[in-house]
Amino acid sequence: MASFLIRRLLYSIIVLFVVSFFAFAAVRATFNPLAKLAASKDVEVKQRESERLGLNRPMVVQYGDFMGKFVQGNWGQSESTHEAVSAMIQRSMVATLQLIIPGVILSIVAAIGLGVYSAVKQYSAGDYFLTAFSFVGIALPPFWFGLIAIEFLAVQPKSWFGLQQTPLYFVGLHSGDGAGVNWDYFRHLILPVLTLTVQIIAGWSRFQRASMLDVLSADYVRTAKAKGVPRKQVIFKHAFRNALVPMVTVMALDIGALFGGLVITESIFSIPGMGRMFLNALQNGDAPVLAVWVIVTAGFVLLFNLFADLTYGLLDPRVRLA
Amino acid sequence: MQQAFQWYVHSCLTHMSGAARLGWTAPDMPYRHTKRETCVKRNLRPTRLLAALLALGLIAAACSSSSTTATTATTQVNVPQGGSLVIGAEQEPDCLDWIATCGASSWGYWMANVTTMPRAYDPVKDGDQYGYVPGVLLTGEADLKTDPTQVVTYHINPKAVWSDGQPITSADFKYTWEQIATGTDIYDKTGYSDISAVDATDPATAVVTFSTPFASWKSLFGGGYGVLPSHILSAVPDRDAAMKDGYKWSGGPYLIDSWNKTESITLVPNPKWYGPTQSHLDKVIFKFVADTSAEFQAFKGGEVKMIYPQPQLDVVDQINAGLADTNSTFNAETGSYEAIWMNNAAAPVDDVKVRQAIGYSIDRDAIVNKLFGQLGVTTALQVMNAPIVNAYSDTQAFAGYKPDLAKVDELLTSDGYAKGSDGIYAKGGKPLTITVTSTAGNKRRELTEQVMQQQLKDAGIGMTIANQKAGDFFGQVLPAGTYMVGIYAQQLTSIDPGRCGQMCSKNIPTDANGSTGNNVSRINVPELDPLLAAVDNTLDNQVRTDKNKQADGVTADQLVSLPLDPLPDIVLWNKSVVGPVGDNAVLGPWWNLQDWGVTP
Amino acid sequence: MSFESEISPSAGSAGQPHFDRERVGDFQPGDMATQLEQGLGRENLVGLPEEGESQLSPGVEPEARTQWQLFFRRFLRHRLAVASLFVLIIMIVLCFGASWIAPYPKNAQDLLALPKPPSGAHWFGTDDLGRDEFTETLYAGQISLKIGIAVALLSTLIGTVFGAVAGYFRGWTDQLVMRITDLFLVVPQLVVLAIAIKRFGQSDTMIALVLAALFWMYVARVVRGQVLSVREKEFVEAARASGASAPRIITRHILPNIIGPIMVNATLAVAGAIIAESTLSFLGFGVQPPSTSWGNMLSNAEGAVGTPKAYLLYFPGLMIFITVLAVNFLGDGLRDAFDPQSHE
Repeated sequence: MASFLIRRLLYSIIVLFVVSFFAFAAVRATFNPLAKLAASKDVEVKQRESERLGLNRPMVVQYGDFMGKFVQGNWGQSESTHEAVSAMIQRSMVATLQLIIPGVILSIVAAIGLGVYSAVKQYSAGDYFLTAFSFVGIALPPFWFGLIAIEFLAVQPKSWFGLQQTPLYFVGLHSGDGAGVNWDYFRHLILPVLTLTVQIIAGWSRFQRASMLDVLSADYVRTAKAKGVPRKQVIFKHAFRNALVPMVTVMALDIGALFGGLVITESIFSIPGMGRMFLNALQNGDAPVLAVWVIVTAGFVLLFNLFADLTYGLLDPRVRLA
Repeated sequence: MQQAFQWYVHSCLTHMSGAARLGWTAPDMPYRHTKRETCVKRNLRPTRLLAALLALGLIAAACSSSSTTATTATTQVNVPQGGSLVIGAEQEPDCLDWIATCGASSWGYWMANVTTMPRAYDPVKDGDQYGYVPGVLLTGEADLKTDPTQVVTYHINPKAVWSDGQPITSADFKYTWEQIATGTDIYDKTGYSDISAVDATDPATAVVTFSTPFASWKSLFGGGYGVLPSHILSAVPDRDAAMKDGYKWSGGPYLIDSWNKTESITLVPNPKWYGPTQSHLDKVIFKFVADTSAEFQAFKGGEVKMIYPQPQLDVVDQINAGLADTNSTFNAETGSYEAIWMNNAAAPVDDVKVRQAIGYSIDRDAIVNKLFGQLGVTTALQVMNAPIVNAYSDTQAFAGYKPDLAKVDELLTSDGYAKGSDGIYAKGGKPLTITVTSTAGNKRRELTEQVMQQQLKDAGIGMTIANQKAGDFFGQVLPAGTYMVGIYAQQLTSIDPGRCGQMCSKNIPTDANGSTGNNVSRINVPELDPLLAAVDNTLDNQVRTDKNKQADGVTADQLVSLPLDPLPDIVLWNKSVVGPVGDNAVLGPWWNLQDWGVTP
Repeated sequence: MSFESEISPSAGSAGQPHFDRERVGDFQPGDMATQLEQGLGRENLVGLPEEGESQLSPGVEPEARTQWQLFFRRFLRHRLAVASLFVLIIMIVLCFGASWIAPYPKNAQDLLALPKPPSGAHWFGTDDLGRDEFTETLYAGQISLKIGIAVALLSTLIGTVFGAVAGYFRGWTDQLVMRITDLFLVVPQLVVLAIAIKRFGQSDTMIALVLAALFWMYVARVVRGQVLSVREKEFVEAARASGASAPRIITRHILPNIIGPIMVNATLAVAGAIIAESTLSFLGFGVQPPSTSWGNMLSNAEGAVGTPKAYLLYFPGLMIFITVLAVNFLGDGLRDAFDPQSHE
């Protein structure tokens, strides 16, 4: 187990280096951080800035310089805003986490519940309904769903019911000067979390159902039933636990990917999270910010990958971690 | 934008004119006295716009006691004291260190620079044109000596103080110049790099000596930067670090209370403000709302009481859909203008006849009508410069370029083109096709492209669209010249008609100058170069104006590019916001924020 | 399948877990009757006795049927999948036959007209330029569907090759391929897309290629898993013993037996690709005018939320939704038809 962990960690670190170099070099080569200087009337400003930022040095040198400082804990400054990158990441992470945490909790509970119910009551009306729902959920393009949700859950109800304001908000996480967790905050949170969870729940519940059915049809379950073990016990003690194993892996992988991946939701609902930070950095050609962003998000993906492998190994004794 | 009514301005009396009593006003024109003491009857031409405007604010006449001081307009309606105002802001500034490269943000400027930094000269509308007028920082016009070298002497208002009570002195002027001229991370050194010395021996007088004449000297020590407090900033190790995330001092009517990144910027009144009016509001919050539809939702829902949206099509729709309890002002005399820029070095538009043919193929009035017709702008811009420098421009230079298919035919056939069977002109087997590039995702521009495509096709010229992301377009495509025709806007941040940067041949970005020139259109017209250079160096206003008008004529003859329209400023505010709410094309809508109030 | 977590069909799409490790069999190689019952599954392989030779009680002669016949029979029983197939055919006919079906010519602008909501003359309404939305939606469908199918085919091809190689040869080849796959999975896809599209132009082909390059990993993993479980079978050993070369074994013996899951994945990849392309276009990285795709149309309509023009949002999104839904049902039906063991 220990050697497995060490090997995976080493491998992950190498991957992080490679991926961040790729991101750094690719962004440098493609996006120009001096773009916004075009509006300046100063004919020398581009030259000046080019020298100051060291943009004329070979890519490896620039990256090396950046990485050297990074591993020492200096995450650098954004080229466009001069803000410390660590502060930016922290801020964006906090915003994104406010979507991920409720979203994931909701998704886990809903998906497992729906999936198990569907599997246990296979071919019932409830099963068909839930299956239909999950199909619909998977097929909905998330950005479309977000916009439609805004239109029909916020904007239209305001005119239908003659309200002062829309029942649910869809700009940012707080109104005006507000802060903290209150009713206003929830009104801001509901639509983006809904948008991001619909697809996840749909996918996970289907998977849970399939996994559960797989297990329920296995011989050892048939044996248990034949032995006369009460149905509830069969389901929860034998079937559910085993069905959960592949589910945990899938969930871990998907959650890992969420950290950098909420670009659409954050875009539509104007939430200043990791996705937005990425888009801004891309537009500004801000290579240092982007490289750090890639390291952070890829880091999360790798971390959760590792977690998935570990739990699978732990939970399923038949599998030996090679 | 002209006003629709006869409008009388009387000095020393603060009653409203008949028109104003009826509730009609001139919303976007702060009035300032000229040096003459008497008031001038302002006779203004009616326009269609007024019929389209939803409602208007109030404006009052200024009454001045001193003969040579320009003062800000004061309100005559009793503006309630107290209260806070939430305003929607479309963009968050990158940083608040104004002179650094990160500080060049229009929104940052409008929100936090105009309200907290002292300025030597203010750009204001004087009649129908913009001009520079001494601000409250000075006691009057600065003295300009032109020979042997240019020397400007500023007389600083003895009442001018920073928010900590220290007076604003010539040492601040000197510090500002030094920081800009010798700094490494500076956005624009133009003008400051022409200054050879600032004499600060007399704290109330700053004597600025220029090594080369700089015609737009009134935009210095003001402009996009302001004047920095030397006593505060020279005491810190790093000026950039001290300013970039916000600063606690001010030389203007407001102080920056806080900047919650990605959320809002909050201003509070500066108790030591030395101008004629103290802020009526207790707090002003600029809330960042990234996109237009969200902005409008926030406005309609009451989350923000004022917005300053980009002149995009969605805005037109929103306004048409109806906005309750809203006043608006619409200003087409702004510092921004959109044009169809042609890469004078890329075939086939390197040929002046082809460029002219394009000019006669496109119906610019129809495009502008489609884009802004509902807001009252129906005619295209006819000069390659922004309306705020109309005083220097030949505003009808391009008026001859109206759709004329006969002319198109004449030009192209005389150039060796013949109309093919598909209706497109071709020469030597190659059809005449131009590629138009602009910023992706900008509906206004995309619409323009699509209309152009149809019009050109009708005239016999093919057109393809190849849009790019904004960063790439401005950062790579334009400097490298890998485009044929580009649609984008120029924004003037000061009343400076100079265009040598964009149109002088010496400023074409080449490998020789490391691609740093700003003449991305590769304009290379020998007659144009000396005229534009003169505009930058001539201190005599009349000569300067003449040279600039001549330059306009040349740009039209050679059709170096095709002007499209001024980008209007649109300000929308809830009726609960009272006072002389309006717009200043350079300073933004909040230049007189201290005169506003909110009714509870 | 959320684009949120990158543009990938998440594990939850297929009912199959797709981990790259061996499942030490959870079935008992039980009696032939059970195997035969299950029909065409991983248990029923080419080379085993024909179905006619069953161990059922004598006197009963089951009708001899080929694998494909069995497949079709099972597929047809899945009514939803059949209905979806029809819907897709209609969709394809409508979109690709747009030049005959659409009531107005493509891109016919009427500049002075204001956008109008759906009416008799314009079923889906008109947009800012006065174009008929129904026409535009149909033409846009051509691009969306083309890219979707192209991406699915290409990524399936690439993924199958990689997965088969990795699964068959194992050892360090396997490790190498899996590490490459991991790398691709970890790289933030939007970065790759934004940069590739910028460097190589924003043509439809380029978008399809880049998307395929980001999808193949999922197919590869599935194929690898399948190949791993199949390669241990006796018939493969037999083939190896008789001297067949590796490529021959892979293509003649292994692949035909896993064609089922591959086809299913390919079908589901179409759905994923359509969503991915529309999301890309929505963010502005996708197709450029004058070509439109559904995602493009939605991107233009984004600002219409809360205005009377909101109807511009409904139809392109609805088209994506219906198409993807139909494809998913189809994929489901195919999976059932190939492998009824999955109990969907």
